[in-house]
Amino acid sequence: MKPLSRRKFIQNAALAGGAMLFLPELEASMLLDKQTSGNYFLKEFGIDQNLCQKLLAKALSKGGDFADLYFEYSVMNYLGLEDGKVNRSYGDISLGVGIRTVKGDQIGYGFTQELTEASMISAAATAATICDLKAAPVRLSLNPLKTGNYYPVAINYDGIPANSKLPVLQSINQKCFSLSPEVVKVSAGFLSSAKRILVVTSDGVMAEDLIPHGFVYASVAAERNGKREQSFYNLGGHRDFSFYTDDVVDKVATKAVNNALIQFDAVQPPAGEIPVVLGPGVTGILLHEAIGHGMEADFNRKKTSTFSNMIGKKVAEPFVTIIDDGTNMNLAGSLNVDDEGTPGQKTVLVENGILTSYLHDKISAKHYGVEPTGNGRRQDFQNYPIPRMRNTYMLGGTANPEDVIKQAGNGIYVEDVSNGQVKIGEGDFAFYVSRGRMIENGKLTAPIKDVNIMGNGPKMLTNIIMLANNLEMDYGGAGQCGKNNQGVPVSFGLPTCLVKSLTVGGTQQKGGQS
Amino acid sequence: MSYENNNQNEFQELADWVIDQTKKAGAKDCKVNLSKRRFVEINYRDRKPEVIKEATTQGLNLQVFINNRYASQSTPDFRKSTLAGFIADVIESAKIMEEDPFRTLPDPKYYAGRSTSDLQLADPTHSDLTPEERHIMAKKVEEGCMKQGGSKVISIEAGEYDDTSDEFVKSSNGFVGANRTTQCWTGATMTAQDEGDRRPSGYHWVGCRYRADLPSLDEVGEIAARRTLDLLGGKKIQTETLPVIIENRGVGRVLGGLQDPMWAGNIQQKRSFLADKKGQTIGSKLFTIQDDPFLPRALGSKYYDGDGFPTKKRNLITEGTLNEFLVDWYYSRKLGWEPTSGSISNLIIPPGNRSVEEIIKDMDRCLLITDFIGGNSNSTTGDFSVGIIGKLYNKGQFVQNVAEMNMADNHLKFWNKLVEVANDPWIYSSARLPSLVFDGVVVSGI
Repeated sequence: MKPLSRRKFIQNAALAGGAMLFLPELEASMLLDKQTSGNYFLKEFGIDQNLCQKLLAKALSKGGDFADLYFEYSVMNYLGLEDGKVNRSYGDISLGVGIRTVKGDQIGYGFTQELTEASMISAAATAATICDLKAAPVRLSLNPLKTGNYYPVAINYDGIPANSKLPVLQSINQKCFSLSPEVVKVSAGFLSSAKRILVVTSDGVMAEDLIPHGFVYASVAAERNGKREQSFYNLGGHRDFSFYTDDVVDKVATKAVNNALIQFDAVQPPAGEIPVVLGPGVTGILLHEAIGHGMEADFNRKKTSTFSNMIGKKVAEPFVTIIDDGTNMNLAGSLNVDDEGTPGQKTVLVENGILTSYLHDKISAKHYGVEPTGNGRRQDFQNYPIPRMRNTYMLGGTANPEDVIKQAGNGIYVEDVSNGQVKIGEGDFAFYVSRGRMIENGKLTAPIKDVNIMGNGPKMLTNIIMLANNLEMDYGGAGQCGKNNQGVPVSFGLPTCLVKSLTVGGTQQKGGQS
Repeated sequence: MSYENNNQNEFQELADWVIDQTKKAGAKDCKVNLSKRRFVEINYRDRKPEVIKEATTQGLNLQVFINNRYASQSTPDFRKSTLAGFIADVIESAKIMEEDPFRTLPDPKYYAGRSTSDLQLADPTHSDLTPEERHIMAKKVEEGCMKQGGSKVISIEAGEYDDTSDEFVKSSNGFVGANRTTQCWTGATMTAQDEGDRRPSGYHWVGCRYRADLPSLDEVGEIAARRTLDLLGGKKIQTETLPVIIENRGVGRVLGGLQDPMWAGNIQQKRSFLADKKGQTIGSKLFTIQDDPFLPRALGSKYYDGDGFPTKKRNLITEGTLNEFLVDWYYSRKLGWEPTSGSISNLIIPPGNRSVEEIIKDMDRCLLITDFIGGNSNSTTGDFSVGIIGKLYNKGQFVQNVAEMNMADNHLKFWNKLVEVANDPWIYSSARLPSLVFDGVVVSGI
């Protein structure tokens, strides 16, 4: 793949700054298991055990409970189609190491984009400034971590011809226009990235990973009788190029076009508190915003979450079980290993209505005296890890989806959402309904769009009164969760679900006043 | 403005080399952007440092134009030995793109006329800031917050952030731009104990180009605490139509929904409800918006935009009439229009005469919106819906704090409801906007 030739970049790097680090005799001391973890950073950048030990020793030179190194080499490429042509290519290379020293809940952090020993030692010295003690010299034994593989890469993005992604976008464009004469503009994009990381910790873990990520999207503008509507749809996740088949093209184009056209008939629901049925799949963003963030352990450790005193207590009806999972195949939030060296795993947050666990990184796990749950994540090497969600979902219930809608009586049915946000301490949340339906007398009727839904997370959780048997996950790749100015890819899922009432925003007051 | 620093000298030499190599490798035109940023971040919690972070980042972005084919890539690696391969990759990327007749560097005639006034974008004393002083800043803010927050405090996070950024931009057809900017921020986020399990968080952060322009640090902490205490007991009220006052710092959030459809890209792509509204009235007589890049020390001030066009002061909306769109070079060619600028510098709404307090005294039932949560705005239709947090007043008297509510409208109706502009522009942002009063807005709750 030519747009972002990793091979060329690496070859050049090795010849220049890398050469001073790459010492042939260190090859034998390499600890990484070639079969399971690879040895990419050793081969390409000369990052060997001795160097890692030296950096960790520097990071702990003034004391501290532990330190870790996070090496990253990422290549991102975006191709864009507009007005019928794939006419823009954007790329970004990210390379560097972040070094963290931790003392209790205090963090010292330095990073550098230059993988030279002098620069990395300087970053480690910055991290060490969080402590002010004289520490004994550190001698570490590092062992490769064996993990699952939840996003196998048959062919990395740099192994495919540069122009092979163009037909995907051209097909989306053609398909969109072929579906309706009312489509007036189509733009499409294909984002792909390959992120390689190496995590080395002072508690002896050495873990390497290759994370393929990306998505294709279509954005459609349609026109009917002088009125315009738009829509956006994407599919992707932690997947390599083999995912983007004709079926994916068809689905992205069809959903984008249909979602735009249905908006022409959309009405505004009445504003105020009404029953809300969340359709399956992407509506799981509700779980993410309303509940998931409040269960991230840093907020609870600092006592700023409304769930701070709720472990072991009833937070929902007994039929509600909520899971945050790093082990789903190819989903955007899946992790073979988290960004501080804990293997990917599944964490049950709420089991049969009882809050059973928070989402932990190493700092919070130590604080609570539990094992880390593999939720220590970061955007990139320029940021230190914090507890983050992965793929968050609620297990399905026993009802048929139609019965859940019928039970709602009069309310709204939410099909697609975006722009969720939560206030952790209050538990108040909001998310934007970009597509849905009115529910009248237990039946789906007119489409709705562009309304906000407000609620309180803990209250909403207790107000889930019915679950269908149709859990669906979101298979998009464009979804990013933002926290502390760091974005990480996540996914979510939900079965059709009835919430007794939420506040629906809009301009139509009940009774028809506008 | 002064370019006398080592980064700029290094940048100039490297930019010339990159342009030379890129043209030799087959590009008709190219543009290179070099940047370097040194930053420090210190956060305190419970009277001890929670995070100390410090680093330097750098980046090189190269845009390549080959026979109307275009690619852009970035790398942090400035070594010429690696850049040779990088340049070849960008060129190969451009070559596989489809031809786009509108994709060129701007006509150089549009580069002329840059301001020579001193915008004071970099504090000459910035490098004097010591690690100890940074810690003292964070501690003072935390102390001020603690004192004001009293027994209600669950947690306070106070911090200091500052950086120095250097940029050098050069194109193969004659554009050269260079900048050094500094900024220094401080503030606090407090969480308070409310009824039951509610733990509202409020914050107050301020930032300036010059550290000396920051307000009193005690006051910053005190305001963070006051804003948090103002959230206690927040509850939703009935769904109703009433006047709302959007506090200065929040106005930009709603205005952003009007700014997106003013961008030529959205107009050309038929995603703008303002496409046919130029010269027409879209707001009340009180609705005037200026884009002013020349305010000394302001966070949005700049000499040139992303295309290299010299910035100009412009009246985007005057007394409710839409005057101008945001037209960059590429979409100007697609639309067949003259380019203006596709980006904003400092957004200004000329302030009125009264404070928010004075305005509220004269109003019956009204809602002061102090923060937003979630929501979105549809650039194609103008519909928006956003969660709101605030305070309810009646005849000048405080009634209750409000949470878990929503405000919705359509921009073409909403800005016509603007009935008063307060006298309090929020200066710690490039959106230097005062509080605004709107009549007859639907807010939904119970």
